[in-house]
Amino acid sequence: MKIKDAEIIALMQNPRTQEKGLRALMDAYQSRLYWHIRRIIVDSDLAQDTLQETFIKAYQNFHQFKSDSQLYTWLYRIATNEALQQINKLKKMQKTDEDPSYYMQNLVADNVERDAEEIQILLQNAIQSLPEKQKLVFMMRYYDDLPYEEISKIVDMSVGTLKTNYHYAKQKIEEYVKENYER
Amino acid sequence: MKEFNLDNLERKNIYKVPDNLFENIQERVMNDVKADKRVPIFKLYWGYAVAAAVALIFGITFVFNWQTETTKDMGDQESYAQSKEVKTESEMAYETLKADLTSVEKNNQIVEIQRDEKYIYAQDNTAKEDKKIIKETVNAVSKQDETQMNEYLDSFTNSEIAELASNSTQDVYLDLYN
Repeated sequence: MKIKDAEIIALMQNPRTQEKGLRALMDAYQSRLYWHIRRIIVDSDLAQDTLQETFIKAYQNFHQFKSDSQLYTWLYRIATNEALQQINKLKKMQKTDEDPSYYMQNLVADNVERDAEEIQILLQNAIQSLPEKQKLVFMMRYYDDLPYEEISKIVDMSVGTLKTNYHYAKQKIEEYVKENYER
Repeated sequence: MKEFNLDNLERKNIYKVPDNLFENIQERVMNDVKADKRVPIFKLYWGYAVAAAVALIFGITFVFNWQTETTKDMGDQESYAQSKEVKTESEMAYETLKADLTSVEKNNQIVEIQRDEKYIYAQDNTAKEDKKIIKETVNAVSKQDETQMNEYLDSFTNSEIAELASNSTQDVYLDLYN
């Protein structure tokens, strides 16, 4: 039985049922959040750690959640921040002369399933070649189908800027795929 | 590729996923959260520890103050006792003096003032000596007759009595403040 956000929130707000609420929250959002994080980070182990940290922070800071906002928006915001922090750590560990998008594309090659279609791999490589903001907007809009208003709350950007970023991101990706597709 | 439209592409995840991914993540999260929940127990103990420390500080302060006051009281009592002792000694000295002044031997012994003074000054040396002297003096005073004393006093001239009285007062003061 699928539990509604209102029930999760009620469980999380009561200290006696908080753990039960956390279980319900993870059941409801773990898949969406995991894939959101995984597309940003790509690395499997790091994505798991980041998702774990996201849930722990959500649990610890649930008193900061405002009931008038959407639960998934709040969770996406935590997950995005955690994922970006991990990416920044990776960048610091990288060699200065190494191209970050090249590094991420290698990571994509290491993590894709054996039977993955070439065009899908190209799409992931194209996403990793995008600037950070465009990447985030594109992924949340294209894969998660989030409304611009909600993405705006997650990444603290105006709806207009988000639309522009999405437009450019989509354009760049299509050009990348056209140029690199070999069949 | 000449034509490519993203909207026509199937949206799917192509990354490898480990087995029991979400079960493992949930277990790790719950373990972490339960470990975190133990923290308030520590906080509770810390609260008790702080309360105990405060109580200890107040306790020590109270005991210290009480001891100080007790010592002070005891000091007062001792000084009071000492003053009382002094007073007793002075009283005794006065009695000695009085006894000397009024001592009359049965065989009409003549009392000399100088001899009395000798007794008084002897008291200043040690308490033990004082007691001995006092005993001797008291023995000398025994068996007095009021009539004889009156006669004896009458034998003094006014000037002699005045001189005797002034000396005895001085001796008492000397005894008090030495």
